[in-house]
Amino acid sequence: MTSQQTQITSLEPSALTRLIDSASASGNPLAATTIQILHNLQHQHLWTSLEIHDISETSIASDAPPTLISGIPPHRVYTHPDEQLYMLEKGIAEDDLRPERLFVIPTAQGQSWSLRRMAAAFDSLAVLEVSQSEEALSIGESVDPEKAKKLDEYYERKAKARETKEWGSRRALLAMTNRGMGGEGTVVYYVVQEGEVKPRQN
Amino acid sequence: MESTPTLPIPISYVSGRYLLFSIDAVTYLRREHNICGVLIGTLPQIPQQNVFLGLPLELMPEEARVLVDKDVACIVDEARAHDGMRSRLEEDRRQYLRDLESQGQLATRMLADRKDQQREQSLKEIDEKKAKGLAAKAAKAANAAKAAADAQNAASSTSAATEKGEPKSVFAGEDESSSLSRTTGTSTPAPHQAMGVTPTTSYPLLPHPVSSSAQYLPKPEVPLSYPLFAHLHSRGYFLSPGLRFGCQYVAYPGDPLRFHSHFVVVSAEWDQEMDLMDIVNGGRLGTGVKKGFLLGGPQKRRDEVESEADRIETVRTFSIEWAGM
Repeated sequence: MTSQQTQITSLEPSALTRLIDSASASGNPLAATTIQILHNLQHQHLWTSLEIHDISETSIASDAPPTLISGIPPHRVYTHPDEQLYMLEKGIAEDDLRPERLFVIPTAQGQSWSLRRMAAAFDSLAVLEVSQSEEALSIGESVDPEKAKKLDEYYERKAKARETKEWGSRRALLAMTNRGMGGEGTVVYYVVQEGEVKPRQN
Repeated sequence: MESTPTLPIPISYVSGRYLLFSIDAVTYLRREHNICGVLIGTLPQIPQQNVFLGLPLELMPEEARVLVDKDVACIVDEARAHDGMRSRLEEDRRQYLRDLESQGQLATRMLADRKDQQREQSLKEIDEKKAKGLAAKAAKAANAAKAAADAQNAASSTSAATEKGEPKSVFAGEDESSSLSRTTGTSTPAPHQAMGVTPTTSYPLLPHPVSSSAQYLPKPEVPLSYPLFAHLHSRGYFLSPGLRFGCQYVAYPGDPLRFHSHFVVVSAEWDQEMDLMDIVNGGRLGTGVKKGFLLGGPQKRRDEVESEADRIETVRTFSIEWAGM
């Protein structure tokens, strides 16, 4: 077993390393982080429809993160506690809901960070979300009419909650990749929301 | 109970601490202004040996500042205020003794009143019983006329009832007269009747001299995290010191006696460089204790604005939780 491992490491760099190398050649030092996290989302967490958004032009602050990633997770990552309560009362399962596009802010351990950068990322998120919202609505619906009615009510309620921000406001995942320890490839994810949003009942 | 102390409430500034000694002020601030503070009073000799701490209440500088900014409180330099009070000591003592005596008299009167009430109650009950007894007698008499065989028993029972009823009425008459004489007696209580009262506080607070605002100390100096504190306070959160949870403040959505806290709060300046690891730490810590990690701060630096109040309006916050993936 051990001999086999040493054989592999001595052979050639991994597919991920080669992928990152190719991307880093473009000149942007943070591109490698973005690629690595996109790779992690795609293959470890099985996200689909992944996209990279260049926000270096839209954001006001010059030192904001230059890119955001967005994609559709296989399962819901975050449900606001009040939304969860509503879904329980109406008997709506999370799997019934249509998939939602979620944004990810790629960062690397050791990278300098500040409230200004966080706010800049969220501000550009506001611009991106507007252009994304129509796409989400065009996805097809289930056949059961009773369930469809329930879901329609839910989406109506959700649209209202979005305006009043009672189910939380803008949110994104903050992804952090490991750079020390030889970069063993760990990526951690934190849900970040703007404003005071009460915690989930874990 | 819902008493409002005279505003502004004087906050005693004693060697760098902001203290409150009046229980009325403490309950009022907690009830109306979401300020809890920390009780720090303990037994002087054995400070470890009591479970609950009492007065005085220590306020964080931020709490004191919020109250002063809202014109609810003012800061008084205790050392200076005490100099002026010394001349009033003897008068205060006499006033205190007078207070005690009047409290004792009040207690005596209340006790007498309660006795009277009880007496009247029992009298009423006796009257009712008597009326019932008479009714029963009439019914029994009717029964006796109807059934000759039961007449003997009925007669004996009615006689028993009358026997029971009459002595009671005799006692009731006595009670009535005695109670009347006593009520007349208590309406003008003799001074020697006053009860000895043990007050809940050993001394009343010295009266706060109504002084001009010129004598108050300036607004408390606050740390850089004050705008975030004031922002959350204005949103109705109760904030307590955060050492217990490894943060700056712990934010409760209501009174901490009724609610679990929602956030561990850390403040930062807008351009303050922070390690991403701090966000991981905070996020993990918060999620581990079923709270959110709240990171926030004002967008303006202190040198960019005229007063702290301008910074409070520019506060932005972010709630962070572990995503679990």
